[in-house]
Amino acid sequence: MTDRTDLAELDATAQAALVASGEVSATELVDAAIARVEAVNPEINAVIHPLFERARARAADPVAGPFSGVPTLVKDLDGQLAGAPLHLGNKLLKEIGYTAPDSSYLFDKLEGAGFVIVGKTNTPEFGLQTTTEPHAYGATRNPWDPTRGPGGSSGGSAAAVAAGLVPVAHAGDGGGSIRIPSSECGLVGLKPSRGRVSVGPQDGEVWNGLVARHVVTRTVRDSAAILDVLAGEMPGDPYTAPLPDRPYAGVAAADPRPLRIGLRTDAIAAMCDVDPECAGAAEAAAKTLESLGHTVDVASPAALDETELVATFLHVVAANALGVVEELATMAGRAVTADDVEPGTWALAEAGRAVSAVQYQQTIAAAHAWTRRVLAWWHDPADAYDVLLTPTLAALPPVLGTLNPVDGDPAMATIMQTPYAAFAAAFNVTGQPAMSVPLAMSDDGLPIGVQLVGAAHREDVLLALAGQLERAVPWADRRPQISA
Amino acid sequence: MDDIDAVGQAELVRTGKVSPAELVDAAIARIEALNPELNAVVRDRFELARVEAAGDLPVGPFRGVPMLLKDLSAAMEGEPLYEGMRLLRDADYRASATDALARRFLDAGFVVLGRTNTPEVGLLPTTEPHSYGPTHNPWKRGHTPGGSSGGSAAAVASGMVAVAHANDGGGSIRIPASCCGLVGLKPTRGRVPIGTDLNEVSNFLICEHVVSRTVRDTAEVLDVTGAPRSVGASRAPTPRGAYADEVGIDPGRRRIGFLDADPTGSSGLHPECVAAVTEAARLLESLGHLVEPSFPLQWADAEALVRFSSVWATECSYVVDDWAAKVGRSVTEDDVEPLTWALTTMGRGVSGPAFMGTVVAAMEEARAAAGWWRPDPGDDEAEGYDLLLTPTLGEPPPPHGTFDSTREAPLDGFIRSASFVPFTTQSNISGQPAINLPLHWTADGLPVGVQLVAAFGREDLLIRVAAQLEAAAPWIDRHPSVHA
Repeated sequence: MTDRTDLAELDATAQAALVASGEVSATELVDAAIARVEAVNPEINAVIHPLFERARARAADPVAGPFSGVPTLVKDLDGQLAGAPLHLGNKLLKEIGYTAPDSSYLFDKLEGAGFVIVGKTNTPEFGLQTTTEPHAYGATRNPWDPTRGPGGSSGGSAAAVAAGLVPVAHAGDGGGSIRIPSSECGLVGLKPSRGRVSVGPQDGEVWNGLVARHVVTRTVRDSAAILDVLAGEMPGDPYTAPLPDRPYAGVAAADPRPLRIGLRTDAIAAMCDVDPECAGAAEAAAKTLESLGHTVDVASPAALDETELVATFLHVVAANALGVVEELATMAGRAVTADDVEPGTWALAEAGRAVSAVQYQQTIAAAHAWTRRVLAWWHDPADAYDVLLTPTLAALPPVLGTLNPVDGDPAMATIMQTPYAAFAAAFNVTGQPAMSVPLAMSDDGLPIGVQLVGAAHREDVLLALAGQLERAVPWADRRPQISA
Repeated sequence: MDDIDAVGQAELVRTGKVSPAELVDAAIARIEALNPELNAVVRDRFELARVEAAGDLPVGPFRGVPMLLKDLSAAMEGEPLYEGMRLLRDADYRASATDALARRFLDAGFVVLGRTNTPEVGLLPTTEPHSYGPTHNPWKRGHTPGGSSGGSAAAVASGMVAVAHANDGGGSIRIPASCCGLVGLKPTRGRVPIGTDLNEVSNFLICEHVVSRTVRDTAEVLDVTGAPRSVGASRAPTPRGAYADEVGIDPGRRRIGFLDADPTGSSGLHPECVAAVTEAARLLESLGHLVEPSFPLQWADAEALVRFSSVWATECSYVVDDWAAKVGRSVTEDDVEPLTWALTTMGRGVSGPAFMGTVVAAMEEARAAAGWWRPDPGDDEAEGYDLLLTPTLGEPPPPHGTFDSTREAPLDGFIRSASFVPFTTQSNISGQPAINLPLHWTADGLPVGVQLVAAFGREDLLIRVAAQLEAAAPWIDRHPSVHA
């Protein structure tokens, strides 16, 4: 059972069981993962910072825990690991060889649960894109079709897990960045509730709370069991999500009660057209859910049709982009110019300079008021839905070089990327849990995810429903073209 | 009846000994008798309240108990809400909806008798708005009742009602509780919902609750206002049980750090405040607690107050411009008080990214300070403290006019208030719960409170220790000179 290809088939829970039973050692698991990275990564460019020596040393004396000895990868954004490179997809940080001075709680918790981090994965610059084609590190390729992107911003992690380099990898989601690459790479990607996973100690909240962090996985049980590891308040968190009544791992193993589910295949706020194959995936999922005893009708919160917030929200995005560029200057220890970041990043940060504090607060206030209108659909005591079902994306995985060309027009790139955020980003504003589940394949053999959106703090409902779907219409046997 | 707390009054209604109408009529009679001396209630709704008391009141834990709402948030549909602003009074502004907090008070069975005085948009630790004139301290007319919830505190201290709504963005529950000899708990950030008409950026600082005369009222009302909920932007950790049940439970031997000087060293403390905290420290020791001089080092950073003031000014500009939009006109210097205009002007000049940067820095400061508290007070092996004990204020309630500003020197009152409130803003930045307890009176009979600050989410511990102190050094028989 130590053949590296066989191990690549196993999810993190199964790999952990092999270590726990003594059938495989942590060193064997980690060496096998390193061998897979070395063999396959040149084809996909998912791992940009190998941490093999550190991993081997830790595997020799693995931390006891539910995932003792299981190899994983972490994204080069949305967290930091003391002593490891931290380049955020940016060429200046790459040039100066920046390394993180301390670790995020999230990575402490992963390592505390026994995971062994074998490297760091590619990300678009500061996570600002829905594709993973940073000018600093080049494009990550989609293992299902290497001419296409894996999605972003957690595209390096998603490509690595899809190709079987590791069973799970860390990811973060400020506008869809867990769900988009999960959809494009055929993975399970849960964006947890705001406040579920601490972003400390470096931050209190990130992007006004838009960013939630977790992992991308191949199985629902891995997503659930790792959320049990990562969830929970840490000292100094400015707010927190209430803990569930029982562990997510158990919840995901049992079918949910019959749920009331609304289906929506029109893009939120009429942002773009929706590819018929994406809409069809959600419609097929609706039929599957009905066959499992759930009630599905075409319905969604009316507030999702409002269009005003989309434009004004640019105030918050631009202000945060400027914040990121200013933070870059602090990290680099010198002033930052337009040459130090990608043109799209610079343009956004420049727009941020024009935003006043009053405009900024007005936008946040409008977003909070909108959130209440959206959430009422799940929380109306007389007429509540349990889950919203949508396509995860409005388009199929893009051909590489189209979304973030090195000499492209930054404004054009934003428009081109809209179909990838059209269903996802709204739920970063509301802070609800949302999850992409790999239920469909396009005629050309590309993965298509469907998105399940839960009530505030109800990851348990999403995980139970996703677990039921996984048992009813399993995806474990589908393998990409490039696979370890 | 004026000496019976809200829990006691509710019990009388439940057992049929008095009717809601009798309670309401008696409270109205007290307000009519006392308010001319105090100016605590700025608008009444007596006729509506009598109709409500005679009708079908909700069967909640406070069915039939009269209370007052502060004229700042807790909006009721169709009713005036002025926030101490002449601008809104002149416009006869009416709230468009009943907000979540007012709904909770009403659903609990409370009967709302009217609105209490507040400084303009709650900016100052006193209650002397130009629009409605100063509220007097019931312990000594001509002195401040504190602010910004000074109207509510004067009303409760004088026995008009047992509890009154209050909110706290920089100390505005604890400050008037200290000045008027009351219990004043600022809950954890996110514990109590804020209204539909309030920007939740402000919720970063602001917490809602009540002022009361007994610890059990504060605890049992928190079970109403702070009940776990499903909709809202930020959350507090789920309570372990009913707060009412914490009253009377032995808190065990707690480690308490104590502070008897301005931590920044920028002002001297009044000897009565030093006496208050010294006596409280001895009392806690006599009850078996370990009390030693210690406080979070971050509290010594004078820059923290600069950051707080920057956020305060920026939020003021947002709030004033938001009200202007709601009443459909722009605001001029003549429409608001000099301090309000000065802070609005300052806030309008702040950029969005700069404001965001200040909030980020404040969260970092709070994260660092949080390490002073033990995460789990039950873990006797852990390093750190369970509670911080401080004086609530730097001086006893000063005379009216102390915090006045003029057009020529519009920030004078705000700057003067810094030495009055050296201990309260830190918990608004961190979101931690903090409580004022009335444990000391000056030689000439003015109340001087002490403050206990617990770790994020640990109102339960504050209530246990507060109830223990209340039993050891009862204050219920102390009455101010202006009293029912």
